[in-house]
This record gives sequence, C-alpha cells and structure tokens, in this order.
Amino acid sequence: MRQRVLVSSVVGVALVIAALDATFGVPTTRLRVALALLGALGVAALGGLSVARTRRDHPLVTRVLVTVVVVVIALVATARLSSNVDTDVAIGAAMTIVLLGLSFLTGSSGQISLGNGAFMGVGAFTVAIWANHHATSPLILVLVLAVAAGAAVGFLLGLPATRLRGPYLAGMTLAFAVAFGAVLNVFGSWTGGDSGLQLPNAENAPRWLVHLYPASTASLSVNSVWLAALSVVSAGVALLLMANLFASRFGRAMRLVRDNDVAAELVGISLPRARVVAFVVSAAYAALGGALWTVVNNAVTPSTYGLALSITILSLVVIGGIGTIPGAIIGGLIYAFANSLIGWITTHTGLNPQGNVASQLNGIIFGVLLVATIVFAPMGISGALRRLWAHRSR
Amino acid sequence: MIGVSGLSVSYGAVQALRDVSFSAAPGKITTVLGANGAGKTTLLRTISGLVRPRAGEVTLEGDRITGTHAEDIVRRGVGHVPEGRGVIAEFTVEENLRLGSLIVRRSRAERQAAFERLYGQFPVLGERRRQSAGTLSGGERQMLAMARALVAEPRVLLLDEPSLGLAPLVTAELMSTISQLCATTGLTVILVEQNAKSALRIADQAVVLYIGRVVADDRAEVVAADERLRQYYLGLVE
Amino acid sequence: MDAFLTSRPVADILGGLTNGVIYSLVALSLVLIWRSTRILNFAQGAMAMLAAYVGFAILAPTTNYWISMGVAVVAGIVLGGLTERTIVRALYGKPEINPVVAMVGFLLVLESVAAAIWSTVSRSLPTPFSIVDWQLRGRPVAMSPFALYEVVTAVVVMVVIAVVFQFTRVGLQLRAAALNPEVSRLLGVRVHRMLTVGWMLASGVGAITAVLVASNYFTGLTPTTMDGVFAFGFIAAAIGGLDSPVGALVSGVALGIAFQFVGDYLNSNAIILVALGLLIVSLMVRPNGVFTRRAQRRV
Ligand SMILES: Nc1ncnc2c1ncn2[C@@H]1O[C@H](COP(=O)(O)OP(=O)(O)OP(=O)(O)O)[C@@H](O)[C@H]1O
Ligand SMILES: [Mg+2]
Repeated sequence: MRQRVLVSSVVGVALVIAALDATFGVPTTRLRVALALLGALGVAALGGLSVARTRRDHPLVTRVLVTVVVVVIALVATARLSSNVDTDVAIGAAMTIVLLGLSFLTGSSGQISLGNGAFMGVGAFTVAIWANHHATSPLILVLVLAVAAGAAVGFLLGLPATRLRGPYLAGMTLAFAVAFGAVLNVFGSWTGGDSGLQLPNAENAPRWLVHLYPASTASLSVNSVWLAALSVVSAGVALLLMANLFASRFGRAMRLVRDNDVAAELVGISLPRARVVAFVVSAAYAALGGALWTVVNNAVTPSTYGLALSITILSLVVIGGIGTIPGAIIGGLIYAFANSLIGWITTHTGLNPQGNVASQLNGIIFGVLLVATIVFAPMGISGALRRLWAHRSR
Repeated sequence: MIGVSGLSVSYGAVQALRDVSFSAAPGKITTVLGANGAGKTTLLRTISGLVRPRAGEVTLEGDRITGTHAEDIVRRGVGHVPEGRGVIAEFTVEENLRLGSLIVRRSRAERQAAFERLYGQFPVLGERRRQSAGTLSGGERQMLAMARALVAEPRVLLLDEPSLGLAPLVTAELMSTISQLCATTGLTVILVEQNAKSALRIADQAVVLYIGRVVADDRAEVVAADERLRQYYLGLVE
Repeated sequence: MDAFLTSRPVADILGGLTNGVIYSLVALSLVLIWRSTRILNFAQGAMAMLAAYVGFAILAPTTNYWISMGVAVVAGIVLGGLTERTIVRALYGKPEINPVVAMVGFLLVLESVAAAIWSTVSRSLPTPFSIVDWQLRGRPVAMSPFALYEVVTAVVVMVVIAVVFQFTRVGLQLRAAALNPEVSRLLGVRVHRMLTVGWMLASGVGAITAVLVASNYFTGLTPTTMDGVFAFGFIAAAIGGLDSPVGALVSGVALGIAFQFVGDYLNSNAIILVALGLLIVSLMVRPNGVFTRRAQRRV
C-alpha cells in the first residue's frame, strides 16, 4: 500500500511535469514544481484512498496518514504559487468537498442529484447572511452553521427521496435547483435579491502566517495563500471523514443498498433511512463547499447557484469517476484548472476571448465530456486508471 | 419445411443446445419433447431468430435463415407462438390480431374478412373482439395467440407449450384444431410440449431433447412405443 | 355575464389554460419517450429550443411564420431521431441513471452550442396573430387571438398524437414495441425503428412547444428558454404519471391554472415553490400514481 502511494506519486509528478511542459510551456520553475506537487496529490490520493475504501481491515492510521500527507503536499504547493493559482486551488478544493458529497450519494445509493448546486447555494447564503448580522463570529462557527443548514434542507428533500428512484429523484432535484433562485427572491430582504451579498469583513490571514513571509510580500497574496490553505484543510478533513464513512459498516451497508435493494432489506438495513442519510450527507458536503466559496470570494451572487452549476457538479463527478473518492479528487483538480485550461485553449485557437464561442467553451467541453464518458467509459477517469493499474500489476 | 443442422446455442457458460439436427416436413406435425430445461424453448427461439446460435444453421425450404433478424424471419412465413402465449394484455383482441396481420399486405376489407374467418374458427374471440386481451381466460388467450399467428398465413408454425395451464378437455380440442389446420393447409408445425402423451397422439414425427442433445428422432408411434424413452426422458410411466 | 367573463378568477383560468397546455405538451413529449424507452429525457427542452432556433434564427427574420414553424418541426424530428440513434441507443440496458446523466450532459451541450452560435441575447419571434387581449365592453378578457391559437394548436397536436397511436398501423406498432418488445419482434414489428420514431414524434411535439413558448413577448427565444417550462412539464408528467398520456395532459392544464392563481393572489416567485411542494406531496402521497413500475421491478 505504501509502495503504491509512493510509486503513484512519483509517476504522477513525472506525468504532470511532462504534460504541463508539453502543453503550456509553464514559465517559472516555481509554478512547475507547485503544479507537479498538486498532480502528485491527486495521484497519491488515488492510489492510497482507493485501497482504504475497499479494505475494511485497513487501519485508520493509514487513512489519516494518507490524508495528512496529501494535505501537507497541497499546503506546501499553495504556499509557493501565484495568488491567481491560489484562488483556483481554493475554489477547486471547495469543489472537491461538494464532489465527495455527490460521489457518496451515488456510490452508496446509486442515485444522482441535480440539486447539489442549490445545496451549495444554501451554504453560501447561510455564511453571507450570518456574517451580515454577526460580523465577528469565528469562522469555524459560520462553517458549522452552513453545514447544518445544508443538512436540514437536504433532510427535507431527502424525505421524498426515500420513495423515489433514479429518474424521478433526478427530476425532483432538478425542480429544486430551478426553484432555488425563486426562494432567494422571496426572501430578497435577507438575500440581497439579484445582486446577492457582500461580506462585511474579508477573511484575513492570521498574524503568524503573515510573519512567515518576507515583509515585502503583499498582504493580498498572503491572504490568498491563507484562503487556499483553509479550503485545502477543510477538504482534507472532509476527505478523511468520507474515507471512513465509505469504509465503515454503514458505508458497506449503503453499497449493498445500491447493488441490491432487496438483499439489503433482507439483511435488515432500513432502506428509507439509508437513503435519507446519503442525501443529508451529500447536501451537507455541498453546503460546506458553497460556504467556503463565499469566504474565498468574500461575496455571493444568486446566479452562481443555478442549474448550470448542478450540472457542472454532476459532470465533474462522472468524468472523475462516479461513486468513488479518487473520482471526486480528480473532478476537483479538473475544476480548479478548468478556467486556466479554457483560457489557454481560447488564446491558442485564436478565438475572440469576449466572443460567444469562447464564453460557451466551458459548457460545450464539459457537456461533450460528460456524454462521452457515460457512453464510452461510465466509470470515468478513476475507473479507467484503476483498470490500467489492475492490468499492470497482474 | 424447416431444416435444423448442427445447431449449438449457449447463454454465457450455459450450453442450452448441442449439435441439434432434425427436419420438419410440410403438412406434418413435428413434436419436440423433453424435460424442463432440455432446450425446447431455446430451439424455437433460435429458429425464429430471437437467439443467435454459436454454430449450425436453420433452413427454410432450403434457404439458410440463420442470422436473419426475427422481424424478417416472420415475414418469410415462420409464425411463433411463444411460451406463455405473449398476447398483449393491454390491447383488445382485435388489436392483437391487427398486430398479427401487420406483415401481410391486404386491403381493409380483406383484412376484416380474414379476421371474420378466424372469429368463425374461434367463436369466443369474435364475441370478445373489443375486450382487452387481459380479461381473457387462459384457454382463450391461447386461442388468441394461435389466431394472431395464423392471421399472417404462415407456412411454418412454432408452438411453445400451447397446452400449458389448460384443462384436459380444452387441450384435446386445441390439439385437434392443430392437426386439422396442418392437414388442410399443408402447414409445417413444430410443437413443443411437456404433455408428451397428447402431443404424441397427434404428431407425425417426434424429437426428444435431453440437456440440449437430441436423444431420439423418429416417427411419433415409434417414440411413443419405446419403453426406454417413455421411462427415462418423457416420464410416461403407467 | 360580461362582468363574469372579465372577472379576476376567469382571467386566471384563461391565462392558466394558456400556460397549462404548454406544460401538457412538454409532459406529453416526456411520456412518449418514457413509455417506449424508460428514459426521462432531460434534454427534451433543450432539443426543442434548438429546433426553434433552426426555424427562426437560421431562416431570415422575414420568412413566413408557417414556413419557419414547419422548418422547426422538421428540425426537431431530425434531431430526435439522431439523438436516439447515437447517444440513446448506446445506453439501452445500462443502469437507469446512465441515460439520465447522458441526457443532462446533452442538455448542457445543446444550450452551450446554441449560446455560442446565437448568443444568450433574447430574440423575439414573430406572431401570426395579435397578442392583444380581446375586449368586452372596454374591459379585457384574458385571452388574445394568439393565446387562443396556442390552445388550439396544443389541442390539435394532442388529437393528432392520439389518433396516430390509436388508429394507425405505426401507432399500433409503437404501442406494441413499448409494451412487449420481444413479442412485437416475433410479429414483425421493427422495434428499434419504433423507438426512433417515438423519439422523433416527441421531439416534433417539443419543437412546436418551444416555438409557442418563445413567442411569448416577455421571454423570447434564448438558449435557456425551456428550462423553467421543462421543470413544470416534468412536474406535470410526474404528478400525472409518466406512463399516462392522459394524466400528463390533465395535470399540465390543472397545474397551469393553479399556478396562475398562486401568481395572481400570492407572488409569482411562489409558483415554483408551490410546484415543488405539489410534486413532493404528490410523490409522497400517491406513489402508485407515479411509479407504477415499481411493483414490476426485477429483483
Ligand atoms: N436467457 C437465458 N440466459 C441463461 N440461461 C438460459 C436462458 N434461457 C434459457 N437458459 C437455460 O438454457 C437451458 C434451456 O432452457 P429452455 O428454456 O430452452 O428449456 P425448455 O426446454 O424450454 O424448458 P421448459 O420445459 O421448462 O420450458 C436451461 O438450462 C435454462 O436455464
Ligand atoms: Mg420452455
């Protein structure tokens, strides 16, 4: 297992450096190293956690170690990145949390949700509304509140979910995603209507972190490092909890539910309860991701949390590998760098960056990838990698 | 005239038919007998194109039909009344018949005349033509399934356990209908049956399958008289 | 009598009817596809939207309305057939969420492509009839010639679909293929072709729906024109039962009228909330009306 993590990290570093050099011609060595480390993070997690997920005799210590290693690598990497990339990392790490939630829902109950964008919105607005009324609350309290709000809404929507199957549930969550904007409007005096809310105080880097940097460093870039670190650590905690959940008795029971309802009922698992729990967990994770977005952006706008976001979340999970932890991490990495990638495509194809095509490139690429993945490789990138791995070690 | 030669069929690891060969002559009833799971249904499904064989071929009047789609095989005159009858319960009796006559080009009047002829032959169906097939009794459904196959005027009729769930008297009636049809129209009939006794009574030829192999292929009287076959494969012990 | 015809409740009923028939049409398209292929077509609205663009944006804006409508319908039919032949066909027999995901992805592709070609700026469509409400003794009735045209078109489409299914050879085959594919094959029905035809019909209906929706002066035609309408149509179909065309039609109209009252007496933002609530309650209370297939699921 440790060998696997080591080997996959090394392979990951090499691959990412080669790929980045070949495609982007990355300008600075610093950026190159940092990106390589990020790649290693993904691949290491892939190697380590995919084992932890399936082997129940796998000690908790290993899962903790893997997570800590992953988080530390990411922290070191972010500490050396430019502040643009830091923001990408922060946004991507928060997205990873959301993806973990949806992956759990799908991986454990075989259901999908088109409402996770709106659940993110629940977390995002909880933070903004709270901060506008209680300016000095500690961050951790605000995040916990957001998670609780997400879980509560998830519970409400999860109740009917107990009786619904695939397409119906997807349809209902789609209706929720469409309805979410209207809900915000109804409570416009709190949510700020169409223009959304600003946070009264930006989340600033703590003193000790500022002291670590040379005095000449702009406080802006120290702050962005702090925000990235915050997201990455949150993602690490979320990841660890999720790995435990997947490996726990409950997680195994849930997979039984997915694979065979009837068998699950025969061995005494309460299906409705299992489904509601999966739904609540996925909503709570989404809310945490949304809350972090608000903290990172220092603002929230309702148009961010429309149906398109929910669809993007679904595509990331499917492309990364539906129902798996590595899949969620891969999806988060893709999301973190999607904008840079699309910007790069735009400049290299000579598209007008302000034009219609460039602005829609995101949707077209994700949509096509989503359809292609589900038709040709339904287990996504992590499934394909795992098959490759199994092939090689045989 | 149907010819089957060297037919082998597998469902994954399960081999349902092994090297099965026999032929069924026009105007004659060929019955295929065997225990549960012997491969009788598989044989009929392979002839009508629902299942692709792994080896061997099926010929219709000398032309190879293996590999042809089921939709086209029925157009070449092979009617199949599937196991469990397969009437469409949500359709009315007449809609079921309309479905059966899809593949024949006929004017509306000709079609209606064909329906009336069948209603003459199976009066219950005439009385219930507007009722949904789901409301028919088991025997009536069997008649509907037969009528639906016959309305397309097939040259070959594959019948999969038509007597399933029918009272002995009804079974006897059904068997006599089948043999009359065969005698008057020169139809080739392949009759799969659990009820070996009544099938052997009307059949001309009998093929006995045992775990996917042909263990006997002879005139019906001969098979009926063979103590060994009766005892081991047909379960006909007095 | 005149006072009655121009009263607020009657206005709500008439306005609701005009919207409701649209939901019914969307629901009908969903039911057509669900019954034959057990797929909930999440891209239904987006496919319809694209067809409307083909009819009204590729052709010159001066083109006769009826020609544009015809082109849109043909485009819808072709798109429906192509979609079934390429994406959907690869997904038969796969876990039931796979086609859901694929159609969601297709939705994203279609909306992005439409926005890339025609931008997200709304364009207004020509209308063949006046959109100004009729007057009775100087007071408006909540029905314009155009609204009446919408209702009539919807009714005509529904009648045509019903006649095709009930009385034609192809309708018989469409129904048979959906009910029992294997027996249908044994009787010579080309089942695969029927699935394609089902998608073509549903998308043709969708194209007409999208053109009617986009003729609305306030929304116009945008790549996301159909999102909200699709959600309402889905809710109507789910409440009425995805297997029941009649249920789809009735609940579409009923929802349309109910929403009009909600919007008029409460708040227009409350409509979608009420819709979501209705959906949840109906799914909880009447699961049989909605998932009739559940009892028949294989173990
Ligand atoms: N779709 C299938 N998949 C796997 N195995 C199958 C399938 N259909 C049939 N079999 C197997 O093939 C063998 C032959 O089955 P078949 O239905 O042809 O038997 P049969 O003679 O018609 O039996 P019965 O008299 O019970 O109808 C059996 O062992 C059966 O389990
Ligand atoms: Mg059988």
